Amino acid sequence: MSPMLPYASSSGSKAIPRHNVSGYSNGYPRGNTFEISPHRFQPRGTTPSYRRRRRLLVRFTIALAVCGLIAVFVWPRASFLSLFSLGLLSSGEDFQLETVRYYDLSNVQGTARGWEREERILLCVPLRDAEPHLPMFFSHLRNFTYPHHLIDLAFLVSDSKDRTLEVLSNSLEAIQADPDDMQHYGEISIIEKDFGQKVNQDVESRHGFAAQASRRKLMAQARNWLLSAALRPYHSWVYWRDVDVETAPFTILEDLMRHNKDVIVPNVWRPLPDWLGGEQPYDLNSWQESETALALADTLDEDAVIVEGYAEYATWRPHLAYLRDPYGDPDMEMEIDGVGGVSILAKAKVFRHGVHFPAFSFEKHAETEGFGKMARRMDFSVVGLPHYTIWHLYEPSVDDIKHMEQMEQERLAREQEEKEKAEKAKKMKESFSDATSQWEKDKTDMQNIALQEKKKKDSPDGTPKDQPGKQAPAAGKPAEKKEEVHAAPKAAAPAAKKE
Amino acid sequence: MARPLGPVRLKRTNPLTLVLGGALCIFILWFILGQSTSDFSATRKAAAASHPLSPPTSPFRKSTSTGGKSKPPPVVHYNLNNVTITHNPVENRENVLILTPMVRFYQEYWDNLMKLTYPHELITLGFILPKNKEGNAATTDLQKQIAKTQKSGPERDRFKSIIILRQDFEPPIPSQDEVERHKMQNQKARRAAMAKARNSLLFTTLGPSTSWVLWLDADIIETPPTLIQDLARHDKPLVAPNCFQRYYNEDTKSMDERPYDFNNWQDSPTAQDLASKMGPDDILLEGYKDMATYRALMAYMHKPEDDLHQEVPLDGVGGTALLVKADVHRDGAMFPAFPFYHLIETEGFAKMAKRLGWQATGLPNYKVYHYNE
Repeated sequence: MSPMLPYASSSGSKAIPRHNVSGYSNGYPRGNTFEISPHRFQPRGTTPSYRRRRRLLVRFTIALAVCGLIAVFVWPRASFLSLFSLGLLSSGEDFQLETVRYYDLSNVQGTARGWEREERILLCVPLRDAEPHLPMFFSHLRNFTYPHHLIDLAFLVSDSKDRTLEVLSNSLEAIQADPDDMQHYGEISIIEKDFGQKVNQDVESRHGFAAQASRRKLMAQARNWLLSAALRPYHSWVYWRDVDVETAPFTILEDLMRHNKDVIVPNVWRPLPDWLGGEQPYDLNSWQESETALALADTLDEDAVIVEGYAEYATWRPHLAYLRDPYGDPDMEMEIDGVGGVSILAKAKVFRHGVHFPAFSFEKHAETEGFGKMARRMDFSVVGLPHYTIWHLYEPSVDDIKHMEQMEQERLAREQEEKEKAEKAKKMKESFSDATSQWEKDKTDMQNIALQEKKKKDSPDGTPKDQPGKQAPAAGKPAEKKEEVHAAPKAAAPAAKKE
Repeated sequence: MARPLGPVRLKRTNPLTLVLGGALCIFILWFILGQSTSDFSATRKAAAASHPLSPPTSPFRKSTSTGGKSKPPPVVHYNLNNVTITHNPVENRENVLILTPMVRFYQEYWDNLMKLTYPHELITLGFILPKNKEGNAATTDLQKQIAKTQKSGPERDRFKSIIILRQDFEPPIPSQDEVERHKMQNQKARRAAMAKARNSLLFTTLGPSTSWVLWLDADIIETPPTLIQDLARHDKPLVAPNCFQRYYNEDTKSMDERPYDFNNWQDSPTAQDLASKMGPDDILLEGYKDMATYRALMAYMHKPEDDLHQEVPLDGVGGTALLVKADVHRDGAMFPAFPFYHLIETEGFAKMAKRLGWQATGLPNYKVYHYNE
């Protein structure tokens, strides 16, 4: 390197070396060239550091970008912002997560025209081994006229041995995936909880008197679990609906809401086969309190439960169900004390204030009847509509089934009998009709013979004046008879077929 | 070698340094990004609901896309058979719901809450405040503290979710002053309104994932930090610690403490006798001279020399601090706003729980402290 060293003396120049003296160090004499840009040669062994640094920076940025991209793919929701905020702000999820909720309960008191104020309804359905009823229930669900997005659905599936849960969740997924936006419901919760119920759910054990108290307490427990898990601060109304309602107006939510009562129930009947009278009151749990029942309640011990509709407790209460007039005003209201659980619309504030379905004996009542009693105790209005009817599914009881089997057998026996009878009649007719036709034929033949003989007799001598008159009908008769002869087998044939 | 004259050239960077620097950068990157996906946040993320229409005990993901059709809420399954309630709630990651009816906000209350050692990501707070001037002021203070904790506080301190409810109390409570509040004739209406507030708070927030409900009054300003674990350890359906109050004792000229909550009691024949003679709408009250019930009060059962975790059975409970298994409330046990066996609010609650087969327990030696006005 030493020859390159810019020693002023080596150049032989008299100029005082300046700081850009390196220009002269290229081995060429400076001469008299006035240089701006001196020829100089430097081996390019190393790239200038500034360029190296720039290249490094570019590479590093590229690497950073690649890293970033990978990060974005690996944690799609990850905090990219935290890079720029240097993690000083909260980490990524919290940008997306809302942890604080604020609700004003005075906005969700429930009014008569809730659909206009966008009031939310919680629809509660307790289920147990209800698979066969679900398709019917979902057809009702699709038909509700209350805006679906304002209805939150909550189901409690308990101790079910059939495919209730599976069918239920598939049907609900189908509703939420419906191409029609109007069908989509709000929040949907399916709650599973087994209470270890030993009571069977078939009609006979369900309605047996002895099982009632403990069964109703367990039912109450299930209802309370469902409500406490599903009630939210934004609900204005709660609607309880049994899954086995067969027919109900599509507008039932609006119809009941319009009355603006704290608790309201329709009348529940069920259709019956004709031999049982065509229809029957079903829900006997909606009633008005009576003096007899109050007196009865005082004689019972603390844990006893009065159940309605059983001969064991004669309460003489006026039942909503029996007051129905098919042509009555459907808007007529009646104050009641106990309510049935098939279809209850209640303001959410009733439940918020603590009214629930007592799973213990509350004033000698449990479950929905106790609910009605407790609501009355807290000065809420409890009302039934005697002439507004929904129809519960008819499930034949064991007696009914026996009776129906008997009837079926009778019917079959009768049919058999009739068939036999018909066959007999047919046979007889066939044999008889043969005889008649034969007889008719013979008769006509004989008449014809007689006629011919007469003609032969009459033709030589003149007939008396009235004779032709008499003859005419006589002549006509055989013709008629002949027709009859032809007609008779024709008429007999279809008749026999019919039989 | 002599330093050449000429432009000062930077020393050539060692490639090793570059590699090291790069590695460091990548490490920092990984650290920043990796932290947000640590298991701490992962549990929070897993607990979050995907739609605002969800149980309030869990946070929800805010919808990031404002435009376009919003998806309908999903069908969500909750298996309540899997919600455990055990004596070791931390290990089983059981959710605790702390419910507080609040009229005034005390900073000491919040500070005490923050000190609880139970994992905060398992705690949901629920508040209900009246819609009046006092309630508005308390709400403002409360929200200030919540924002501080949930938005800018360390992740460890943040609670799983917080619910604030506002409600009109039907008979407006004239004042929350201690003298006015404790007048006997005001008690029935006041406690009925209080019961309704408690029930409103409880039944709208309980949700499907809560294991324990801790009732903690807004004026409880000092508790052991392990309160939840200690009370849950007893594995009882209802557990009430003993509520005391610190005060300046004029006689001894020093700070002292005295019993405060007289609603934790064991029933007495006298009280039952009194009740049997009452009309159906009358209520029995505790701690008033003109109604001597001779009930055994837990407040006076405190013996400093005895075991801290000594248990006594109770027939009536006060709500100042009370740990309840969520199943008790799910079965329907609530705070009666009407005379229930001549008892109202928290005392009626203990009675109703008993009717449902759940017995209350008291811890006379385990103390929490009430604010002194």
